[in-house]
Amino acid sequence: MARNKSKRNSKSKIRNNIRRLRFEADEMTQQALADKVGVSRQTIVAIEKGNYSPSLELAFRMARAFRTPLEEVFMYEEADSENTGT
Amino acid sequence: MSYQEKQNIVNIISGLLVTAIYAYIVYQKQLAGELDLAGDYKQWGLLFVIFIGVSVVARVIIQIVFHIINAIATRTEDIPEDDERDKLVKLKSTRNSHYVFITGFTFSMIMLAIGWPVYSLFIIYIVTGLLSEIADNSSQIFYYRKGV
Repeated sequence: MARNKSKRNSKSKIRNNIRRLRFEADEMTQQALADKVGVSRQTIVAIEKGNYSPSLELAFRMARAFRTPLEEVFMYEEADSENTGT
Repeated sequence: MSYQEKQNIVNIISGLLVTAIYAYIVYQKQLAGELDLAGDYKQWGLLFVIFIGVSVVARVIIQIVFHIINAIATRTEDIPEDDERDKLVKLKSTRNSHYVFITGFTFSMIMLAIGWPVYSLFIIYIVTGLLSEIADNSSQIFYYRKGV
């Protein structure tokens, strides 16, 4: 039970700015980004929605495609007080 | 709906269809007295081997037909290559499929232990094989829709 809760939390903790970054990159389409980083458009949609956390390698490729640091594309929310005990 | 989702739906339907038709033919032969499945285990082995062959050929034909229809409907001939998300989805679905198969295998051993006839073992294997395949394909659909 605790493990499931932890899994759910860790999944929802990763946020991304892909939509904004695509907009700033001359309204880059999801397909164009997918072609640049070598995945399918469906995978980009899933990442953008937060339904899939990409591998570190793909995350770096996406950051490189936007010419921004990784932290600008993906961010990890701070653990809440329940998990950290703070 | 993505190519993978459509492919999984086709796999579920074709799996059910091929198994049902084959089971019906075998059952009719059993009723006609051409087969003795209650006592002759060599025939079960033969039926399994033939089923594997028939199933593979039927699936290949169904996949080719599906791809042609999909290409006409979407006007794209390319089959999408698997990326890291596809591989993860398939990995998790295979895991679920194995869970189902192991459960069926354990169930068959329990049934054998409580005195069910040996031929029931083969029937349970066929049903379990079908269920594990459905679990694989439906898991893929689930992960593609809900996220992995």
